Amino acid sequence: MRRTLCTFLAATALFAAAACGGGSGSPSGKGSDGTKTIKIGAIAIADTAPVYLAVSKGIFKKHGLNAKITAVTGGATSISGVVGGQFDFAFANTTSVLTAAAQGLPIKVVSNGASSTGVVGKDFCAVLVKKDSAVKSAKDLEGKTIAVNQLKNIGDTTIRASVRKDGGDPSKLKFVEMPFPDMPAALSKGSVDAIWVPEPFVTIAMASGARPVVWPFAEAASDLTVAMYFTGTKLAQQDPELVKSFTAAIKEAFAYAEAHPDEARKELLSYTKIDAKTADKIILTKWPQDINRASVETISEDALNDGVLTKKPDLDALLP
Amino acid sequence: MTGRLRDIAYGILGLGILFAVAEAVPRLGLISRDFLPPADEILHTLLRDLAGRELWTALGETMRAWAIGLAIAFVLALALGVLIDAIPGARAATTSTVEFLRPIPSVALIPLATLLYGADLGSSLLLIVYASFWQVLIQVLYGVADVDPVARETARSYRLGRWTILRRLVWPTALPYVMTGLRLAAAVAFILAVTAELVIGSPGLGLQIQLAQSGGAVAEVYALIAVAGLTGVAVNLAVRQLERRLLAWHPSVRGETTR
Amino acid sequence: MTGLPLRLVRLLALPVALVLGWWGYSVLSPSFYVPSPTRIATAFADVWFTRRILDDVLPSLGRLLAGYALAALLGIALGVAIGSYRRLRLTAEPVLEFFRAVPPPVLVPLIMLVAGLNDTMKVLVIVSGAIWPVLLNTVEGVRALDEVLADTARAYGLRGPSRLWHLVLPAASPQIMAGLRQALSIGIILMVIGEMFASTSGLGYTVVLFQRGFQIPEMWSGIVLLGLLGFLLSLAFRAVERRVLYWHQRETHA
Repeated sequence: MRRTLCTFLAATALFAAAACGGGSGSPSGKGSDGTKTIKIGAIAIADTAPVYLAVSKGIFKKHGLNAKITAVTGGATSISGVVGGQFDFAFANTTSVLTAAAQGLPIKVVSNGASSTGVVGKDFCAVLVKKDSAVKSAKDLEGKTIAVNQLKNIGDTTIRASVRKDGGDPSKLKFVEMPFPDMPAALSKGSVDAIWVPEPFVTIAMASGARPVVWPFAEAASDLTVAMYFTGTKLAQQDPELVKSFTAAIKEAFAYAEAHPDEARKELLSYTKIDAKTADKIILTKWPQDINRASVETISEDALNDGVLTKKPDLDALLP
Repeated sequence: MTGRLRDIAYGILGLGILFAVAEAVPRLGLISRDFLPPADEILHTLLRDLAGRELWTALGETMRAWAIGLAIAFVLALALGVLIDAIPGARAATTSTVEFLRPIPSVALIPLATLLYGADLGSSLLLIVYASFWQVLIQVLYGVADVDPVARETARSYRLGRWTILRRLVWPTALPYVMTGLRLAAAVAFILAVTAELVIGSPGLGLQIQLAQSGGAVAEVYALIAVAGLTGVAVNLAVRQLERRLLAWHPSVRGETTR
Repeated sequence: MTGLPLRLVRLLALPVALVLGWWGYSVLSPSFYVPSPTRIATAFADVWFTRRILDDVLPSLGRLLAGYALAALLGIALGVAIGSYRRLRLTAEPVLEFFRAVPPPVLVPLIMLVAGLNDTMKVLVIVSGAIWPVLLNTVEGVRALDEVLADTARAYGLRGPSRLWHLVLPAASPQIMAGLRQALSIGIILMVIGEMFASTSGLGYTVVLFQRGFQIPEMWSGIVLLGLLGFLLSLAFRAVERRVLYWHQRETHA
């Protein structure tokens, strides 16, 4: 009996060692100059220009923070990063944040992340098809393969909403995952029928002859809060001061980016692989100070309708 | 010796043919250059990368994950293997579990690794350790099972301690098996290290390949694949050398010329 | 306790203990990422006993079998050719050593580039990795052909296809089978990886989908299913192997 127990314990220990480990808490230590080091996860698209500006213009420093930004591929990755302790703060699209909250992941939104311009034809995010494609409106996307950066996020949610509004059947859409930078090439090669991209990739794809057909953010809701910055609930409880500083810094960066769009365009060159000509052409995101709660509720309902969400997230607990 | 030289000449001829084909096919327009750049272009890119720092940094990241993962897997598997051998009846009790867990493709754990560690070293390690662990464990179990039971009984009747039996009898018998396990595990660990970088995006050679493909730098993709292949060859050769050194006294090596 | 009951205890004691241990762990320290076995089991039933079997599991299996069969055929054909002619083997050896050492997943971005994002790509990905163990083992097996056997065959005037069928393949079959076994596990790995990149169906795709939606028990159920699949395929392989090696015994000792 003791022997069996020994074997069992050894095996369990091994299994535990292999299966757990988990993320350690984040070491946000004090720097030599009295600033606190924080790690931020953000995707390298035009939406996140303010957070990069906050680093380069010394806005974080002013608020006593020394920020390190890591590029991620999408919302799911940044949420895992925050929950696993890899990041202190991160940027993720509204659908991913809602999904994670509904599934009970310990996250807390700290500020707005990006908002749509709300103008069809003049927004920073679009579904594009090849010039000679038969797709003329959202309804025509039925049965087509559309590339999104990650499944179950703001892309497929708002595209489905646009298709539904246009009288089509959103369950007939096929979504494939692909990093944004790969999409324009995949479209012109014909390996996908349509691509969903934010700026700067809308401009890049249009330069290679793609045609925008749907503007999901502008069509899904008015003044849509597309993405948010968030942190883990543990950090929010343990260090509310840090969260306050971060939120203040981001809000200041938003105001700065809204006031100096040229600076925001210039900042893009530092973290994406685009040239100055493209950067001048792109349509910039709106960065209002506050989250538009009504639009978040719209997204939540759409996601419930599509089965992306299985239960309603508690917005009161989630939003600041 | 002249025979050996001739063999090597054939090998060089083979590599030359490969290079010539890779050079001619895109130049003749049989395959578009967008899919296969001419070989000299790839070689040029490769040499440029080798002179730069980025490639070496990435390769260093990959090899670090490889080494740590392999070491953890090797030590764990060796310890567990010896333990199973030491406890009577443990072999029979563990067989079904081992047989079930072994075929689980470690890439199935990628989503879990991503959740737990994001694009960190931890993700790579989880996959590497899981995949290489079984390779070593199976070989260790074969090895300890190969010990002559008569010799074992004799040793016991001479009242030799467990430790002595392990060191003098079990270990020498099992060593060739353990080394085979290490060799297999080294190759598997390298594959998984690159895979983790490719799929999860942890820093290293795999990530560089992914980025090169995103940027449409096709020659770069081929150059990096060549680097991955050469590293794989180097890993195989290094482990074989180690095996020869450690087993120089062993008949399985002495009787062998080149394998 | 003898015979069957004892064997059953041996077979099931540790797995049951492990599952209980897992269950205890998930109850004592509830972690979001390690749900209890009961939750995984219910998720498994909810997820996989539905249309998904048709939409995701079958396409995956189809691609795996197609890729594996192609890799086996090509590997054996090329392997016999290379193994039979010494000069060809010497010429091809360094090239093969190099290709064998390339980690198969590295080729996925390349194959995506060339073949696009369709089933052809996924099958090619499987072939690109699974072919090497078959090829190299076949070469070894054909090389090691017994001299005496070869002489006897010559004396009996065995040539061409019948020599291949009655002498070369049976003699090399243990080695070939070893190669096929390695190719199977590599094939499963590449099936999953191919579906994690730009896919609309399949097991790998589904597991990623659950991870994106933070549906952790469902994600685990996918991992368990992949484990079961690997386990069942290795059992099936063993059954086939026994039949084939029996044939090899009969052929060589006839």
